[in-house]
Amino acid sequence: MIEFKNVTKLYEDGTEAVKEFSLEVRRGETLTLIGPSGCGKTTTMKMINRLIDPTSGAIYINGKNIKDYNIHELRWNIGYVLQQIALFPHLTIEENVSIVPEMKKWSKKETLTRSNELLEMVGLDPAIYKNRMPSELSGGQQQRIGVIRALAADPDIILMDEPFSALDPISRELLQNDIQKLQKEIKKTIVFVTHDIEEAIKLGDRICLMEEGRIIQLDEPKHLIMNPSNELVKNFIGNQKSPWQTTVGSISTYKKDLILSAENLNGANYRQQGSFVIVDKNNVFQGILMNGKVMKGQRIEHDMSLYDAAECLNGSDQALFPVLEEEKLVGILSYQNIVEHLRSTATKENGVIKT
Amino acid sequence: MNEFITVFQKRQNMLLETTLEHLQISMISLIIAVILAVPLGLILTRYPKVAEPIIGVSAVMQTIPSLAVLAFLIPFFGIGTTPAIIALVLYGLLPILRNTYTGINEVNPALTEAATGMGMNSLKRLTKVELPIAMPVIMAGIRTSMVLIVGTTTIAALIGAGGLGEIILLGLDRGADINLILLGAIPAALLAILLDFILKILEKFSKKAGIKSFILTFLIAIFIIATPFIWNGNKQPDLVIGGKMGSEPELLINMYKLLIEEETDLTVSLEPNLGKTAFVFSALQEGSIDIFPEFTGTAIVTHMEDQAESNEAREVYEQARQGMKDEFDMEFLQPMAFNNTYAVATTKEMADQYDLREIGDLKRIENEITAGFTLEFNDRYDGYVGMQDVYNLEIADIKTMEPGIRQSALTNGEVDIIDAYATDSYMIELDLVTLDDPENLFPPYQGAPLMRTDTLETYPELEAILNQLSGKITDEEMRQMNYKVDYDDESPNEVARTYLENEGLLPN
Ligand SMILES: Nc1ncnc2c1ncn2[C@@H]1O[C@H](COP(=O)(O)OP(=O)(O)OP(=O)(O)O)[C@@H](O)[C@H]1O
Ligand SMILES: [Mg+2]
Repeated sequence: MIEFKNVTKLYEDGTEAVKEFSLEVRRGETLTLIGPSGCGKTTTMKMINRLIDPTSGAIYINGKNIKDYNIHELRWNIGYVLQQIALFPHLTIEENVSIVPEMKKWSKKETLTRSNELLEMVGLDPAIYKNRMPSELSGGQQQRIGVIRALAADPDIILMDEPFSALDPISRELLQNDIQKLQKEIKKTIVFVTHDIEEAIKLGDRICLMEEGRIIQLDEPKHLIMNPSNELVKNFIGNQKSPWQTTVGSISTYKKDLILSAENLNGANYRQQGSFVIVDKNNVFQGILMNGKVMKGQRIEHDMSLYDAAECLNGSDQALFPVLEEEKLVGILSYQNIVEHLRSTATKENGVIKT
Repeated sequence: MNEFITVFQKRQNMLLETTLEHLQISMISLIIAVILAVPLGLILTRYPKVAEPIIGVSAVMQTIPSLAVLAFLIPFFGIGTTPAIIALVLYGLLPILRNTYTGINEVNPALTEAATGMGMNSLKRLTKVELPIAMPVIMAGIRTSMVLIVGTTTIAALIGAGGLGEIILLGLDRGADINLILLGAIPAALLAILLDFILKILEKFSKKAGIKSFILTFLIAIFIIATPFIWNGNKQPDLVIGGKMGSEPELLINMYKLLIEEETDLTVSLEPNLGKTAFVFSALQEGSIDIFPEFTGTAIVTHMEDQAESNEAREVYEQARQGMKDEFDMEFLQPMAFNNTYAVATTKEMADQYDLREIGDLKRIENEITAGFTLEFNDRYDGYVGMQDVYNLEIADIKTMEPGIRQSALTNGEVDIIDAYATDSYMIELDLVTLDDPENLFPPYQGAPLMRTDTLETYPELEAILNQLSGKITDEEMRQMNYKVDYDDESPNEVARTYLENEGLLPN
């Protein structure tokens, strides 16, 4: 849908804001751009609607270089939501929302129906709100209008530059939910800039983490969290990683005395009480021995999150769980391991326990 | 207060006429200023590098005194409404220009970015976003400019543009007649308030109806105001006769007009009450007037920048005539009898009490009296400097003051003697006496028609016609006629006609 090919932006003062940047935003996905301040997120985003022109390289929308589009028509098809909200203070809510449809020469009736529909979509009663001035709305309500103004003429692409960062946490959360809900219905291609990793994870189908004008990692949120490609990514994700996100491979322990070889099992060389994991001579998992009884047993892949593992564990009466990588035993997970892990990632500050 | 009401009633027609003129001149100037300054301001926002210097230049223009601007414009545009409007426009530009520039620049950049990002082109962004948001600031500039223009328009009367300034100038000329001055000043202030109110309404209207209808209203306003103005410009008279401030020049030019129109088919229009000698003279040079009555003494001292070589009237005229011919290629026709020279005047009681007849008689009381002189008189050789020299006077206390307030200072008893012009009408009204000047210290100031040589070549008959007044009109007759105009409020045209008829120069 949107394709960056070797895009570089060099500002006049010599700042190289974006370097050799290549990326494809897929149709219907929400891509969140995240990274430290000054890493070039805004610059990248504004090159899409040509508020900034690249120094070299090219950007394509639907396979056509954006320079070959009529610039105004291009922009009419790209909704734009600003951090500063930037509703026009001298126009009513309805007039603000109707700007692009009017420029696209929609009929009066169409425009009116559309703005009513959009207001309702974000839970603002048109009868009450459409004739208000922007200053008569709360910040959260204003940014809702900012969002529907961008949606008004039904663009294929929507750009949002830290749209919710000026809002209080509650409004922010509500608006994020709105966007999630909207996106399920409208399935637009959204490029969403944020500096808030939670927001990036919540809204992004994929996250593009940038540093100094380059892509550090581009991945789905869970992969980004589970396989950070370097220290920077790890730091960025930081506390975001819930203890439940940890892969079981790193919690489990490899305790020799809980492992029983197939040989010893056949030689009946084992204790009748307790649980053991049975492996063959190649360390390939064979089953579980529980109180002298051999069973198939519940098994866990090493890269499973603790959260997912807990789902598997739930309702099982096994005391030990084999953690496998390509059928080979790499560790054994017990409830004790889990409790220790959760305890070790929690802290207590001023009597408040945090994970 | 009662007096004010009387003056008001007597001058209603003049008030109405000058108010309309005032309104018209101010509005035209304001509209031109808006038409120039708003787009210029808008253009400057796109070229910030040149903006500061240009705004700086227009700020400098504003510091030039309006009188100086008018004087500067006469050689190029003559007298009347055109130079007045040009000067007023120059004055009105700065506030509008500056406010447009800052108003647009101060529009929140996020809003312009949003507008651009939404796909508005430059013009759409300007009309839909920038102008409406900057409107209150721009309107504030327009309103400041309006007040400035309405105020300054009073000065335009000095170059014959008309307006309420005419009444104010008349008041100043009549010995600072406070009622007349108020009669001019109050409507000017009311006009400013009224226009401010209209502009406010217009601003509100523009908020509701959008910028396009605002521009439309504006154009309609231009049309309505400019139409009578354009019509007026149609009829061109053959001759324009100008005159300085005051009743005396106005009487004289009316006589010229009556005589010329009686004996030829030429059409003559009059431009009375032009501000300063220099203004009238440059207007004559430039050609927007063709004739004006000038004094022999002034021709020598002011225009030729020379000194009278004699104190004998005939010789002074001869010197002036030759000089004006040689230096300016102008014809100075024969002078009339009256001599409107400087005189030293005092009240009748004072003269009786101290038996004052001649200037030299003041010597006896020089330590006891206070003199009220104009700044100019105090400083000139044919003034107090010469009095010290020729009559050996050393007056103990001298107060310098504006010409218009000397006579009231004298009647109030604040001063005991003043300098005066021999034919001024207040001499009669206040029963003043002039002291003789046996040493002929004050050179003669005889009035005579002054015109460009080319005018006389085109209309050679003028010489004979205007010279009929040669040697006519004595000091006393002039004083009487001035009195009729100034104090009895008779029309200068009527007074002039009566005189000419009595002299047998016009048929009864
Ligand atoms: N107009 C400009 N001229 C020169 N340098 C600029 C300009 N705009 C941005 N930069 C620089 O380019 C770099 C990238 O800026 P950009 O605004 O894209 O960062 P960002 O990732 O959006 O940062 P933030 O999270 O703080 O908004 C920064 O170093 C910035 O200082
Ligand atoms: Mg940014």
